[in-house]
Parts: sequence; structure tokens; C-alpha cells
Amino acid sequence: MHRHAYGNGHAAYSPSGGTFSIQPHKFQPRSQPSLRKRRQLIQRLLLVGSLFFTALFFFFPDLRPDLGSGPLSLFTSNEDPQLETVRYYDLNNVQGTARGWEREERILLCAPLRDASPHLDMFFSHLQNMTYPHNLIDLAFLVGDSKDDTLEKLTRKLEELQAHPEPKKRFGEISIMEKDFGQKVNQDVESRHGFAAQAGRRKSMAQARNWLLSAALRPTHSWVYWRDVDVETAPTTILEDLMRHNKDVIVPNVWRPLPDWLGGEQPYDLNSWQESETALALADTLDEDAVIVEGYAEYATWRPHLAYLRDPYGDPDMEMEIDGVGGVSILAKARVFRSGVHFPAFSFEKHAETEGFGKMAKRMKFSVVGLPHYTIWHLYEPSVDDLRHMEEMEKERKKKEAEEAAKKEREDKLKNTFDTPSDWKAEKAKVQDMVQQARQEAKGNEGEKAGVKLGEPVKKAVPKVGSPKKDGKVHDARG
Amino acid sequence: MPSPRSLRRQNPITLVLAGILCIGFFIFFFSGGDGALSTSGTGTAANVLSPPSLPFRKSKSNEPAPAPPVVHYHMNKLTTSRTPIANKETVLILTPLTRFYQGYWDNLLKLSYPHEYISLGFIIPKTKEGNQAYAALQAQVTKTQSGPKAKRFASITILRQDTENPLQSQNEAERHKLENQKARRAAMAKARNSLLFTTMGPTTSWILWMDADIVETPASLIQDLAAYDVPIIAPNVFQRFYNNEKKAMDIRPYDYNNWVDSPTAQAMAAKMGKDEVLFEGYNEMATYRSLMVMMYDPSADPTTKVKLDGVGGATLLVKAEVHRDGAMFPAFPFYHLIETEGFAKMAARLNWASYGLPHYLVYHYNE
Repeated sequence: MHRHAYGNGHAAYSPSGGTFSIQPHKFQPRSQPSLRKRRQLIQRLLLVGSLFFTALFFFFPDLRPDLGSGPLSLFTSNEDPQLETVRYYDLNNVQGTARGWEREERILLCAPLRDASPHLDMFFSHLQNMTYPHNLIDLAFLVGDSKDDTLEKLTRKLEELQAHPEPKKRFGEISIMEKDFGQKVNQDVESRHGFAAQAGRRKSMAQARNWLLSAALRPTHSWVYWRDVDVETAPTTILEDLMRHNKDVIVPNVWRPLPDWLGGEQPYDLNSWQESETALALADTLDEDAVIVEGYAEYATWRPHLAYLRDPYGDPDMEMEIDGVGGVSILAKARVFRSGVHFPAFSFEKHAETEGFGKMAKRMKFSVVGLPHYTIWHLYEPSVDDLRHMEEMEKERKKKEAEEAAKKEREDKLKNTFDTPSDWKAEKAKVQDMVQQARQEAKGNEGEKAGVKLGEPVKKAVPKVGSPKKDGKVHDARG
Repeated sequence: MPSPRSLRRQNPITLVLAGILCIGFFIFFFSGGDGALSTSGTGTAANVLSPPSLPFRKSKSNEPAPAPPVVHYHMNKLTTSRTPIANKETVLILTPLTRFYQGYWDNLLKLSYPHEYISLGFIIPKTKEGNQAYAALQAQVTKTQSGPKAKRFASITILRQDTENPLQSQNEAERHKLENQKARRAAMAKARNSLLFTTMGPTTSWILWMDADIVETPASLIQDLAAYDVPIIAPNVFQRFYNNEKKAMDIRPYDYNNWVDSPTAQAMAAKMGKDEVLFEGYNEMATYRSLMVMMYDPSADPTTKVKLDGVGGATLLVKAEVHRDGAMFPAFPFYHLIETEGFAKMAARLNWASYGLPHYLVYHYNE
């Protein structure tokens, strides 16, 4: 690159020509060679020294000098200046209001998981479709005692979720707690819902919920939302819909779809109920550790259940005061949990887990509400009885199919053994020809009448061949 | 231009500047690499959205905020053992604060448990008195966290309380009146629960409850209490005072909430209504419970432990799993007990036992 003093139009002087000089025209005394050498030596020493110390401090941060907390602290061994150790929060700012999405209120979404791998795809599609601002939703999962690939699949799905190109579609804090409680109870439908297993199962479920909540609740949360992974259908606006009611604890109605032969639909979550006198009297007769579980004949409580009060055409905003809550989908203000309400893993007023949670929230004078006409749909998993029934139905269907196949075969056989209608026609024509011949022969002998009589039985024989088919149809309808 | 000439013209200042620039470049270059380091569950969090019991790395202001990472917490590997330091177990010290005592903070700094494993949590009411305490605490926190590295705590969380304190005055006499007790203890229980459930992180092993007016404990308090390897353990709380009769400093019992239940108390509770609470240390309610403060014997073996039915919160070491299972401080009468005493009962319902050390003392501030 040419650097001219006069680059524009004054290029007459070539840069190599020494005639033009830009050196300052003033006197500069030449330093003495010995002085210059010494100065150069010092400069080099300084340079080498600083390079050496930089390298040393870089590789051994512990050797860095302590320069105090002033502006020089940038160079010290403070681990690094980006490390923040003190946090301040004002809990008055996270009380939870009816319009949380406008006030940027954070929600903690908790989901306890166990062998839930088959449901995760459905659950994540629900998550992605939620209309509440995703960056305000923190996700917390507790994965325990899982024998399938729940953990791996969950991690993969969450990482996909956070890698969303749009920052607004990404979620907030995501924590996966791995904790096995060594539960012996099977998670399959039958053992899960059997009466004898209920108390123990619910206590360990409660334990899992408490571990999850206590590890995941932060001072920034205004709301906590509990959601089961096996919800099949729910409005995408469910968080806003529940929040709008501005209640301390609120649950929707939970039903499940059924196959047609079972009636199409059914109440699912029977844990949301209002307390009854009968149940209170019953509670008094039970011992300290007993747990009343709803939906079993063993404890007839005569409580009004949220699930049974549903009217498909009712006002979805209608509220109902309840005492026990079901855990499929609970929205609660974080201050409920902050004040100590949790899922009792012991018998609290003869209830455990979510029902005990409702009871405890009531005990601490929080409002607990259910929405009878606002419904979400739980996944239908056939019970053992249903499966048996379905097996029978399947068997019957197979039998019927086999029967039909056999019938068809017989029919074909008939068709094949006897000839096809065209053959019949040909034969008929032949027969008629023969009759004609005979008639003509007989004309001379007897007369017309005998010929007609001879023709009739032949005509009748044709529909008789087709009759088994008709018979089969009748059987069909009966079957 | 020929190079020897340009070198000759260079000023020593230019060289020095180049050197500084070089160092600056090195620092910038290498510190830039630190941000990319990922975190491994414990130690440091990578995002501001993280458990408050962990310090976090601030994102640089000129970068767009990264998506919060998916963090795994291996709670199966979390231990609470009798050798907490060897197992690198983290301790969360929780203090509901209404008044700040310098003695409390100094005592905290003296704890010999490695401070890098200690997180602190405070909850302060939104009152005039609370504001003063807040300012005093903040000053000390700033001083400590920018001081020598060994004294710094892993993280400190300071909360302002949302529930209104029913009692305006925190005077000793006013505070301890029987009629005020229920409301006061209920508010206290809520404050404790708020503090506990928002600051307990997935990596916390132990919770040490320490009241703001505990000004003297042995430096090895955490190690000593953890060595018993029991779910809940409380030392005996005494108070130093000037004994006018002896003309010397002396000690006297202070915390009456550590007790072993008595048949009398149980009979009283059985007769009570659902919402009534049985308090300890009032003449109106003589419970005849065995109080731990009365068991103190200076000559006895200091390692003796007794099983307790009710505990106080002045100093209390609790395994985190006890709280995680759901044992909290009831703000309502739970078996006619409230707050810390109710906590011991709830823990017992969850099969966690409480113990006390009658001959191991910590000291309460003397007003």
C-alpha cells in the first residue's frame, strides 16, 4: 500500500525517492548507544516478564494476586466477575393475580413421571400448544422408579423444546429430578386402582410430589400448575382459563372418553369432592393412619363429586367449593405452597396426597374451587375387566368372521358344484328344446297339456339353488 | 520504509502500551471462554433461572439471553451422612430475621464448616424494623461476599416476607404473651415455610435453622450435630447474663420448646377443641413435660442425646429429606401444636424422629 503525504494529485514524488521527507524538522538528540541498549534490555525484560505472568496466571488462577474489590477486581482470582452469589426477592411481587400473563407472572409446571414414555409425545404437544407465554413457564419433572426409557425420551424432547428457533417459544427453567423411592406397587391400571393398594400408593405418590415441589419452587413463582402426562385433550388456554378465576386452588372437571360399547364417556377423577356429614362421621370412626379413598364401595361417603355434576352444556365458568382435589390438573397460587400446604404422605384428617392437599389448604383458609362444566379429558386406558370384555368381544368377532367365512365357502362350493347360471340357462334351453321335441313328438300322440306340466318343475329348480344365500342373510342378522 | 528505522523511532511508551494491550487481549480472550463452560448439576448454575441455593453465572449484557438449559439433578446420589464434609454435602442455613445482631453474623462467619458448601437464606418482614434489619444485613453480606474467598458463602438469598406480621412490636415481653402466641407463632410458621420451600434446592443435603438472636455456637456446630446422623437434632439453647447474686457472668435456660411429652399434656390436648393450641412455658398451662433446658448438667457427657417430641427452632439441624417428605411448620393447630413443635409432630407422623442434646449449648442474645 502506498502511503503518500499528498495522495491526491501530488504523486510526482515516488515513495522510494528520498527527496521528500515527513520527518519532524526539529532537533532530536541521538541517545548514546549504551543507554539505548540498556533501555532495550529493560523493555525486553518487561515484555518477557509480563508475558510470563499472564501465562502463569492463566494456567494457575490460584496464584493471581488479590487486588481487592475495586475496579481492578476484574484481574483478580474472583473465580470470574460474572459469578453472582446474592439474590434478593420480594414475595409481595409474586402473589398471583387473575391476569398473570399480562403481569409476567411465572408458573411452575410440575409433572411427576413414572414409566410414562408412551405418553410423552402427547404431553409435549400439549406443552407446545399452550398459549401462556412459554418463557414464563418453568418445567420440573420428577422421574422415579421408571423401567422404560422415560428419562432419555424426556431429556431428548426437552432439549428439542429449548432449541426452538424462536426465543419466545422456549420455556424457562427446566429441571429433571431423578429420585427413586423404591415403590413396590406396580403402576399398571389394575394394581394402581385396586382398593387395598390405594393408601400406600397415594402416600408414596404424595412423597414424590413433595420432593418435586420442594426442590423446584423458587421465590419467583406466582403459580404452580400440576399436570398429569396422560391427559389426552385439554384446552390450550387452560392456564389462563383457570387463572382468571383468581382462586388459591382450582381444578377443572376430569372425564375420559370410552369406547362406544361402554357408553362413550365417563367421569374420571373422583378425588374432587365436597365434604359430607357421612364422610366426617366415617372419618371419626377410623384409626389415625387410615386413609379414606374415594370411588370405592368400601367407603360410602355420599359426597357430591365434581365429576358427576358435569353438564356438557353448562356454563364453563361456574365454580363449586370443594374440599378434596384430584391431581390431574391443579392450578394453585405459589403462596399456598409457600405457606406450607403440601401433599400429605401421612393420614391428614384421614386423607392423603391430593385429597389431603385440598383438606390442608382448606384448613389454612385458602379457597379451593372446582369447575364442574369445564372439562379436560384423561387418556382412556382399558382396565383388566375392560380388556377381558374386549377380548371376549374380539373372540366373538373372530368367531363371527370365521362363521361368515365358512358360510361363504359353502356358498362358493354350492355355486361351484352346481353350474353357473349361464350353464343353467344353456341347460334350460336344452331341456326346453328337449321338451319341445317331446311335445312335437307327443303332439301327434296326446296334446299340449302334458308339456306344460313337464316344464314347471324345471322352472322351480332354478330359485332353489340360490336359496342358501338368502338363508345366510337371515342368520347374519340374527348373529 | 526500511524497518530498522521504524523500530528506532518507536517510543518506549508504545512498547509498554502494546504489552498492556497484549495482556488485556489475553484476559479478554481467555475469560470469554469461561462462559461456554457448562455446569454439572451442583456447584454453579448457568442461568439466572436456577435454585437460589446455587450461585449463578450472569449472562453478558451484550449477548442475547441463552435458552435456560435442561438441568438434571441426581437426587438419588444426594447424601446426608455423619461425615458431611467428606461427602461434600451442602448445608442451607435458614434464618427468619426481624432484628439484625452483629453477634449473629460474626458467629456465622466463625463456623468451621467449609463456607463453599454453605448457602444462606433470610426472610425479613416488610416493616420498619424489618427495613433496618434488611439494610444492616445487606451491608454485612456485601462485605463478606467480596472479602476473602474462604469466608464467602456459596450463595445468599434474601426474601421480603409477604404475610403481614400480626404483631407490631417485637419486644420480648409483648412477644411472649400467651394470648399473642397463637397468631405470632402462626405468622412465624408461614415465614419459615416460605423461606424453606423457596430456597431449598435440589442439591441441598442439610437444613440448619438458626434464629437471628443466636449469637454464640461452637464453631464446629454443623459437623457436631451431623455426626449424630439423626433426622432432626437440636442443641440446648441458653442465655448468658450477669448474675447479680454471684457478681459474675452466668448462664440460664432460654428455649422451652424442646421437650419430651407427658401424660398430663396429652390429657390436656385430648380435652381441647380442634383449634386450640397447647403452649409450653406458661403458668396458665402446666403441662409437666420434661423440658430439655432443665436436663442440662455441665458435668455430664456432652454427647448424650435424648429423644424429643417437640422442638424449638432457635438452632435445629434437619436432614433435607425430612422437609422434602413434607414435614413443615404448621401454621394451624396440628395435634394442638403449632410451628416448630408442630413440625416435630408432623415429622413423627412421617416416621422421622427428633433428638436433642441437653449438654451441648448454644447461646441466645440477651436483651
